[in-house]
Amino acid sequence: MTMLHALFSRVLSLFLVLCVCFFALETLPGDACTAFLDQDARDPELLQICRANLGIDQPILVRFGEWAEALMRGDLGTSLTRDRPVSEVIAPELRNTFLLALVSAIASVPLSIILGIIAATRPGSRLDMTLSAVFLIAMTLPEFIIATCMIFLFAISLQWFPAVTIVPTGAPVLDMLPNIVLPVVTLSLVMVAHTMQVVRSRVIGILESDFIEACWLRGFSYWRILFGHALPSALPPALNVIALSLASLLGGVVVIERVFNYPGLGTLTLQAIHDRDMPLVQGVVVVFTLTYTGLSLLADTISTLLDPRAGANNHA
Amino acid sequence: MYRSRSAGVMVLALGAFALFSSPALSETLRISHNLGLGGRESLDPVSPNRFLPAIAMIYDRLVNPGKNGLPEPSLALSWNSSADFTEWTLKLREGVRFHNGEPFSAEDAAFSLKRILNPKLASPVRSFLGIIDSVDAVDATTLRVQLKQAHADFLMLLTDYRVRMVSSKAAHGDLDAVLDSGIGTGPFKLSKLDARNTTVLAANPEHWEGKPGVEEVDIIAIADQDARNQALLAGQIDLASVAPNEVGLFKTNKQFVVQQVPAGKFNPIVMRTDVAPFNDIRVRKALKMLADRESLRKLVIGDANGSLACDEPVWPGDPYFNSSITCPTDVEGAKRLLSEAGYPNGLSLDLYTASVEPIMIPLAEAYQAQAAKAGVKVNVKVVPADGYWTNVWMKPNRPFVVGNWGQRAADQVLNEVFRAGAKWNETAWNRPDFEALLDQARSSASFEERKSIYGKAQAVLAEEGGQFIPFFRNETRVYSSSVDNVSHVPDNMLPWHKITKK
Repeated sequence: MTMLHALFSRVLSLFLVLCVCFFALETLPGDACTAFLDQDARDPELLQICRANLGIDQPILVRFGEWAEALMRGDLGTSLTRDRPVSEVIAPELRNTFLLALVSAIASVPLSIILGIIAATRPGSRLDMTLSAVFLIAMTLPEFIIATCMIFLFAISLQWFPAVTIVPTGAPVLDMLPNIVLPVVTLSLVMVAHTMQVVRSRVIGILESDFIEACWLRGFSYWRILFGHALPSALPPALNVIALSLASLLGGVVVIERVFNYPGLGTLTLQAIHDRDMPLVQGVVVVFTLTYTGLSLLADTISTLLDPRAGANNHA
Repeated sequence: MYRSRSAGVMVLALGAFALFSSPALSETLRISHNLGLGGRESLDPVSPNRFLPAIAMIYDRLVNPGKNGLPEPSLALSWNSSADFTEWTLKLREGVRFHNGEPFSAEDAAFSLKRILNPKLASPVRSFLGIIDSVDAVDATTLRVQLKQAHADFLMLLTDYRVRMVSSKAAHGDLDAVLDSGIGTGPFKLSKLDARNTTVLAANPEHWEGKPGVEEVDIIAIADQDARNQALLAGQIDLASVAPNEVGLFKTNKQFVVQQVPAGKFNPIVMRTDVAPFNDIRVRKALKMLADRESLRKLVIGDANGSLACDEPVWPGDPYFNSSITCPTDVEGAKRLLSEAGYPNGLSLDLYTASVEPIMIPLAEAYQAQAAKAGVKVNVKVVPADGYWTNVWMKPNRPFVVGNWGQRAADQVLNEVFRAGAKWNETAWNRPDFEALLDQARSSASFEERKSIYGKAQAVLAEEGGQFIPFFRNETRVYSSSVDNVSHVPDNMLPWHKITKK
């Protein structure tokens, strides 16, 4: 029942998000043709030809209806100004963004857990303070500032990594790798900062709890207590934070991709909005929303499964 | 049961990617474009979404704009006209071949011009080449153009950056076909079109002007201006246009050359001459007189980034530019004129602007401060850039706006913007005597005579017109010191094939 309920609420939110996006974009001044023609839009004749060609001279509700109907059949529609199916436009960019998010997650999830434990086992130590200070700064600074500093240091001064991504569309993953180092480091910094704090405080709390006391009394080794008992209890709430920061990673990706000229969903979103390319914007929103809701569903499920008290509470 | 193993080793794997090294290809010129069309860039030169600068490298023009703005031979070697300037005959270059090996002939030239006139292709160029009545290939190397009215400087219209020669065979003679295959006669051939990322062009060793200076040109899409500058600083691209306020990043760096090229882009403050209070010439004059143009230029773009103007829409690099017009600041005179016009206590005006071009808002604000000194209260109304041209500009209820114009030849700007029936007559300028001057110029036989007539037309606009033009903007270009032979001309005139790289 709870699963069904969770699923239903997510489908509903997807629908609401799509409605809001559609009508919000529609209320902005200009349309696909004024964006497309730019200064040439000063010519009313050109503008009229363009609007007729793209079919945006139709009433808004008709267009929304047609689009929603196609979506029901799993068809994301055709990009207004790129003249190709939306799914085809999105696919290579989606792969690139997922690559970025995946590598960031692989790098930052274990790192944040390890650092969290290290800090928790030595609370108040110099190491703990340094880690906290560094990641507090990373948390406070906007991503684009960190990104710019990274570029200045590692791309312009040291020239270790490229400043911006220059690869052909659909380049093999291996060719993307040197390009994603700086974006990944930037994204990871922020993610590690959030998650590490949660792991740290949870582990500290558990290490001080009664049941760990009991473990000590039973003569368990330090490592067994830490990894066998304290960490499993600390992880479920941390997983929630991780899932949410993975989701917010997708938001951060928009900024990061722009700064690093990375050919992904983020840059595509900005362009689609700039172009007033409604089907494309909606297509990207579908992908983002599905990912976000999917991740939060996954986090709920995993924490239910991992929670030692799960059997007792969640099926009541 | 809940045993977890450290996976931190994976983080270390990241270090392995640090082996990145940028291959320094000496024979590849890497430039950037701003992805202004989001990957929809087309290689059809007449398309509204033409892909600059790729089309400038792939296709040749019949005539190129020369240093003094007059036409120079390109695919057309020589030309002459009938005594009344209504029929033009162009002799074309022999032995020129398209990238696919087909010979270039007058058929192709006629086809290229006819497509521009085809309303179905909706080319923006049609607005000024609409003067063409018919085009015919007399023989393989002779092209005849019949005009609807006399135009002594017709060849100057053909120097426009979009009037490029395409292959009629590639289109199977179909005038409605969209030509985005990239078959031209130009110095570079298309290797790979990938406007969203990297478009690759290869040198055309058989180009009639000789082998280009580099083997390859990569046109790299970088949408963000800051990212573009960073790519330049990190050595990932060799040449880029930068905004005036970014010159400082490169000026003191010996690895870069900064080029300030005088050009003719301008942002007028537009007053509709048919709407009160701007229908009173004294008000228009006063609003122009009160301005301190030098300080406007300094504040808005910086002294080095533009040339001062006196409300004449013809830029100083144009052969027909009237250099004798002056426009001293006269705040007292402005107050006097306003008082005579019935505004002894000044007046309040709404000035509409948008960030269509980054300087359009600063210009309005700087002007606002100067106007205040003459008792004119200017309320700067910033509206969204999207839809600015369709919803705000040229609307009678918005008689005071900031405009934006690219560089245009004298004849083009005067006819496109200041004829009563012109689509882009933003000041609602309606003066038969002025239009008679333009007609007279087009049918005058001597250059000197035309210069004097166009000069008169500019003087009329400076004195009475509805455009306040404080300055023309330069183009600012930065390139790596390994790049050489970058001509000191605006982008639209740049001979890309001459550029070399060490």
